[in-house]
Amino acid sequence: MRYFFYPGCSMEAGAGSYTKSLEAVARALDIELAEVPDWNCCGATVASSVIGDAPAQVMSLRNLAMVEGSGLDVVVACSSCYMNLALANRRFQNDPRFRALATKSLAAGGMQYRGKVRVRFILEVIANDVGFERIAARVKRPLKGLKVAGYVGCQSVRTIPWEFDDPEQPVALDELIGALGATAVPFPLKARCCGASHTLPQGEITSSSCRDILESAGEARLMVTPCPMCQLNLDAYQSEVNKAYGTNFQIPVLFFTQLMAVAFDLAPSTYGLKANIVAPGPVLAQYGVAV
Amino acid sequence: MADNSASSGRLKYEAGFAREVYGMENGSYLKLCMQCGVCAVSCATFKIMDYSPRRLFALVRAGRKEEVMKSNTFWMCTTCLMCKARCPRGIPIVDVMHDLKGLALKQGYVNYPQAAFYQAFWQDLAGRGRIFEGGVTARYFLKRGPKDFGKIMAQKDVGLKMLSHGRLPLRPPKAVKGKKELMQMVAKARELEQKGAN
Repeated sequence: MRYFFYPGCSMEAGAGSYTKSLEAVARALDIELAEVPDWNCCGATVASSVIGDAPAQVMSLRNLAMVEGSGLDVVVACSSCYMNLALANRRFQNDPRFRALATKSLAAGGMQYRGKVRVRFILEVIANDVGFERIAARVKRPLKGLKVAGYVGCQSVRTIPWEFDDPEQPVALDELIGALGATAVPFPLKARCCGASHTLPQGEITSSSCRDILESAGEARLMVTPCPMCQLNLDAYQSEVNKAYGTNFQIPVLFFTQLMAVAFDLAPSTYGLKANIVAPGPVLAQYGVAV
Repeated sequence: MADNSASSGRLKYEAGFAREVYGMENGSYLKLCMQCGVCAVSCATFKIMDYSPRRLFALVRAGRKEEVMKSNTFWMCTTCLMCKARCPRGIPIVDVMHDLKGLALKQGYVNYPQAAFYQAFWQDLAGRGRIFEGGVTARYFLKRGPKDFGKIMAQKDVGLKMLSHGRLPLRPPKAVKGKKELMQMVAKARELEQKGAN
């Protein structure tokens, strides 16, 4: 299986452990990921407010135009990048007025796009192209008895509702957790917003959202997520939540690919667990993982 | 939240405001709103909003420009898409919020810290084609000035932890090679969008 991979700014920087573990897991599943050449930022949730929806979406389309000739799908692992690339693509395909605007704009920078690329979220590719049975068959270190909260976050499942999962109570991540031998706990807020980029301008908003989410994870010993921003907010700011609310959360928050690398028993250097701020060592030690 | 706050101020009716909003990229969708309130109960940040999206839209229609533009409602929106997924009239509420943020930035309603964050983010992006989180943070605090000094200190502990876990790169990423062409595309799109709106 071959795909183009759009990493995005977070996965190139603070979420390096996501990229590292994702690449290792992909190799273990015979998935070839080629980086989109000279990719540019998707604009996150910000650009469209500053320059307008259409110009921001043209930025996203440049990334798709880069690889259209290959006939390969573009896989995205960051929720926000996925939202922007997928929505821009869908609008290009369905809205003739926008298509005309985007075509002229891309041409102003010497590029052309015809709307043929498929933009896909990493969990959907794992669910549909790989399949959970193949994942389960690859597991060499079953995480039996490990209670895991699958935090999907907001944007990936609601970009195009019902595209591949329930937009409010998604199940694909829970199935993946099950395939790794672990147990997905009931988790009502698994697709609730983490507070996103309020962290910098008004951190108390993020702390409040994260407290609700961590509480909702119930008896989970560990949380996994496919989103760089959710991971950062829930992991790096967990101590701030505890400070603000007098709570005592100690829930390691991993990228789901880190947990896959552990369950696949890949080389420990691919886990990237040192990047985790709430230490996952105590929880994973019983499975023979030294962090 | 005070339910009646929407009508407590002195009425300053601006006939052109609703039209101004309808003229934005997603503004005309507001005409479809039937005031059901599903957006309000779906919103992740509803509790801290001055007005729920439903109320905000009613104020837009009534032409209450100052109340709309000075409210925190659209700045609180995190683009979590719940309202957009649920709206029975199919209004892309999130995209309307983006338009309102854009209008606020353009017309100088920039007192909320989120406005400075958005400006900082875009400036960093436009300079390289990719984001450097350290650059966004620095630009943000420069824009906010001394009034955010307490926040810098509050972020210090988390920042140090991120640094020690390798989560905070100190060097910016490489610039996009085609950055000049990328910005030409953006400029062209903005120009065409302006033309289309008028």
